[in-house]
Amino acid sequence: MELLDLTLWALGMALIGAIVFGLLGLVSGTDETATIAPVTLLVILLGVPPAGVFAFFMAAIASKHITHAVPTTLLGIPGDTMAAPLLRDAQMLRELGVPHIALRKAISGGVVAAIIAVPLAVLFALVLTPFADAISSVAPWLFLGAAMLIAFLSKGRWAALFALVPFVLLVVGLQAFATSTTGSGLSISFFLGIATGPLIADLFLASSPAGRKLIGRDDQRTFELAADTRTWKGRIPNPLRVLDRKQLGYTTAAATVSSATFVFSPVAMTVLMGELFGTRFKNGYHRLTSTMSIRNGTTESTYIAETLIPLIAIGLPLSPMAAGPANPLFNAPPVYTIDAEAGTTNNLHDMLEPWQFLVFGLLAVIVAVVISYPFAMTQAHRAARWVMRKVSHEAIIGAFAALIVVICLYERGLVAILVALTVGLVGGLLNRMFNMHTGVQFMGFYVAALSVPAIMALVA
Amino acid sequence: MKRSYLEVWGDTVDGRHLLLSILLGVGLATPAYLLAAWGFSQTDVEPALAKSYALLVGLGACVLTGVLAARIFPPKRVLVDAAADAGSREEAMDAIEAEYGPLGDPDELPAAVLREVQELGLYEDLARQHAKRAAREAAAPADPRSEQEANR
Repeated sequence: MELLDLTLWALGMALIGAIVFGLLGLVSGTDETATIAPVTLLVILLGVPPAGVFAFFMAAIASKHITHAVPTTLLGIPGDTMAAPLLRDAQMLRELGVPHIALRKAISGGVVAAIIAVPLAVLFALVLTPFADAISSVAPWLFLGAAMLIAFLSKGRWAALFALVPFVLLVVGLQAFATSTTGSGLSISFFLGIATGPLIADLFLASSPAGRKLIGRDDQRTFELAADTRTWKGRIPNPLRVLDRKQLGYTTAAATVSSATFVFSPVAMTVLMGELFGTRFKNGYHRLTSTMSIRNGTTESTYIAETLIPLIAIGLPLSPMAAGPANPLFNAPPVYTIDAEAGTTNNLHDMLEPWQFLVFGLLAVIVAVVISYPFAMTQAHRAARWVMRKVSHEAIIGAFAALIVVICLYERGLVAILVALTVGLVGGLLNRMFNMHTGVQFMGFYVAALSVPAIMALVA
Repeated sequence: MKRSYLEVWGDTVDGRHLLLSILLGVGLATPAYLLAAWGFSQTDVEPALAKSYALLVGLGACVLTGVLAARIFPPKRVLVDAAADAGSREEAMDAIEAEYGPLGDPDELPAAVLREVQELGLYEDLARQHAKRAAREAAAPADPRSEQEANR
């Protein structure tokens, strides 16, 4: 395809991704994996060219992590999973009566970090590329080790680690069932089942009398919207001016460090960077606002780097992010595939050059910034109010249930729906009871696909 | 009769509305996808592409059902406006200092941050809080919290 065509695709898809996920970021509790992954999958299956898919994804994550700060700072509820570490400091600034400062610092930090994370991640990926073959050849064991490590580092600790055994066996069994009934294994349906597991488990609880006791509430949930106190006049503020020099410096430092450490959990890195660099600010007020900026910057840089580095250097989903929201970029059969037996890939890793990752990645992030930053800066209060008043949670759940069914039907009809339901229920309950989060379960899926055959070969 | 709610996926919903919303979504999107898949397979569009088009139709149906459900079923949440001057700032500051540690002396801030604090109208409050804290610490020098804070 001509470069111009590719650029137009990238630009167009980045626009769509930025707008759709910028709006979705305003809806509190819309988990990244549960929302970005299925929609990205859809974009891939619809036949959008690689540059377009990539730009869509990058704009989506960058944009969502700008607007997710709106419910987090103005309503005191995390916009999504990555917003949770921002909550406490945001709440304190809200109590001081300056929620808009929390918002401005957070999204300005996000913008700065997102833009520098793209070139840094490409750079780190190129450093790592010479070792790609060596990494790929030990991939089955890497996945096993990574799965165990991520499980142990999750809140579930030992329970999450041991629960990997039944979970992996469940995946192996379901794959055998799918293969015997339809001729080949599934992947999208597993993926959707894991991603929406918490929802599926809640729906089962809602339909049992015992479960209703557990999740029943006497009152509606109350949300408190902070007053609108816009302090600047006229033009959109410049993110570089919203942050002071020290904040800018440490936000950049945190983005750099978290871009290199692509194997760690993004949530953990966000907490850690806030602690590590936030404590450099002696004054309490200054530390609060700086931590907002550093932490939200890290939500951007971890997401970007953890996608780009495995994608460019290895081609296998070897990071928590790649095993989660970014998974379709690695594995979305029949368009993008990973052949477990031959150890080969046919995904974005093989379809785009490093310079294309850099150019289209930057393009997408800039599109997301240009769309979401002014929007979040000027419309935050009105948008948050509109979403809370008009969009019922029932409608969101209904639309997601429909989306799961449609995508499963697309993959393999009824069998796929049954598989997604099974994995979702079991995974969702494991998550609820033992804090075995979806990231651990995604790694479990890859252990079943890659490590189990290697283990069996060793034992045989 | 008092209504009761369920907390599903992080927010309160009405059980019946939720069921109806899911039935509406699945009930509309499934036939939309299946019909579109059948319809495109009757044309001479390439089979793989025909399936993708059907998926697009299915997605459109999902969005449509979301919009419909949002119009039919109102949100089950209470939104209240936090008054800008709810409670005194002093109270909030005491609570924050108890959990987070001292907010600090605004006069030690670099010029840019000092300007920010002044524009926000926080300067006087921060200064008063700092003075209060300094006075308290002078009276009781062995406050365990400030020691803990210093060790961080």
